[in-house]
Amino acid sequence: MDALRWYPSPVPADILFGMAPRISRSLLLFLALSAGSAPLVAHHSFAAEYDDTQPVKVTGTVSKVEWQNPHIWFYLDVKGDDGKITNYAFSGGAPGQLMRRGVMKSSLQIGSVITVEGFKAKDGSNNAFGTKVTYPDGRMVFTAGPDNQTKR
Amino acid sequence: MKKLIGHFSARSVAILAAATFAATIYSQPPIYGQSPAPAAAVSPRTKDGKPDFNGIYQWPTYLPGAERGRSAATTFDRKNFAPLKAGGEPFLEPRTGVPRHDEPRDFCMPAGFPAGMFSGNAMQWFQTKNYLTIVHEFQRMSRIIPLDGRPHRQDIEPSFYGDPVGHWEGDTLVIETTNFKRWMMDDYFYTDPKEFRMHSDALTTTERIRWKDQDTISYLLTIDDPKIFTRPWSQEFQIKAKPEWDKMGLFEYVCEENNRCPGGKCQGN
Repeated sequence: MDALRWYPSPVPADILFGMAPRISRSLLLFLALSAGSAPLVAHHSFAAEYDDTQPVKVTGTVSKVEWQNPHIWFYLDVKGDDGKITNYAFSGGAPGQLMRRGVMKSSLQIGSVITVEGFKAKDGSNNAFGTKVTYPDGRMVFTAGPDNQTKR
Repeated sequence: MKKLIGHFSARSVAILAAATFAATIYSQPPIYGQSPAPAAAVSPRTKDGKPDFNGIYQWPTYLPGAERGRSAATTFDRKNFAPLKAGGEPFLEPRTGVPRHDEPRDFCMPAGFPAGMFSGNAMQWFQTKNYLTIVHEFQRMSRIIPLDGRPHRQDIEPSFYGDPVGHWEGDTLVIETTNFKRWMMDDYFYTDPKEFRMHSDALTTTERIRWKDQDTISYLLTIDDPKIFTRPWSQEFQIKAKPEWDKMGLFEYVCEENNRCPGGKCQGN
């Protein structure tokens, strides 16, 4: 699958296996194809929408998941230092692209706490393109699609 | 690790093992060469004796050595281009700032052919004696290609995917497509936003499709666009069979369902 050449290495086995034993079966279905943080867009121009000079990394509670085309969107309630809750919206790959890699809708559970890394939208909103999701126990998956735009 | 595996069901472990294996093989550089195996020896056959292309496939990908864009969607290798005609320069257009021109897919407009063929999504081919139908997951786009020897349709409006007809030349399926709208030719926009490749409405494409080995189709695409290039030019790609994707199959793709980025302005909430 040389179209994935920008993702040079699969996730090390210790990331997949080195997890707490209370893992749910659905989480096992996660398939992280690679290390790296390249944003990918399934059918939009990444460059037009997101700013690769503005990485974002937030931890919060999943408040909503839209497992729909053309891109999944998932939302995170993030508590700031002042205690104020801000809702972030993350876009990802197309559902089919993710499911073919083993990342299913059940992989993003409402109410779960996750850390998301990505790149902020150019419009100054709290929207971003989410490339990597990390769970409190250190497991990580990639939520971007396998195709199209990459920036390094 | 053995201890951890003990916490999982056998099925989960099997799934994970398969996934890890898939991740590993995805990360390997292509190992297949360009030397064609004798097609007759490897090609599955339909009842009427033609090479059998029924199946589920990855989108066309590069042969070793081809120039690759930064986009993971497949793009043409500039080295293959024929010289541009005088006046053909608008083929390489900078982004105009008009979103519908620069990235019509932002509005769920079609990728068109050939760009849609390379969009980085799975596809499934259905072949009968008289038709080859290629269904792409991306936008659930379908190309229905008559193989019964009929000519191109006349006096019809140019379209995003053009008007295809196919015929057999030995074990090679040849598809000629004409009557395109002027549209984006590939995903080079993603590679270099300063460039945007368009084909003209004079484009004729010829696809030459044959089995190369038991899981690889050779996909030779010829671009004949006399308004832009001084002569036709070709690039060979490969299409890998993905029988392991068949169980999951293709998914619905209704772009309008939750398109939140019209014109590059994403609306997350």
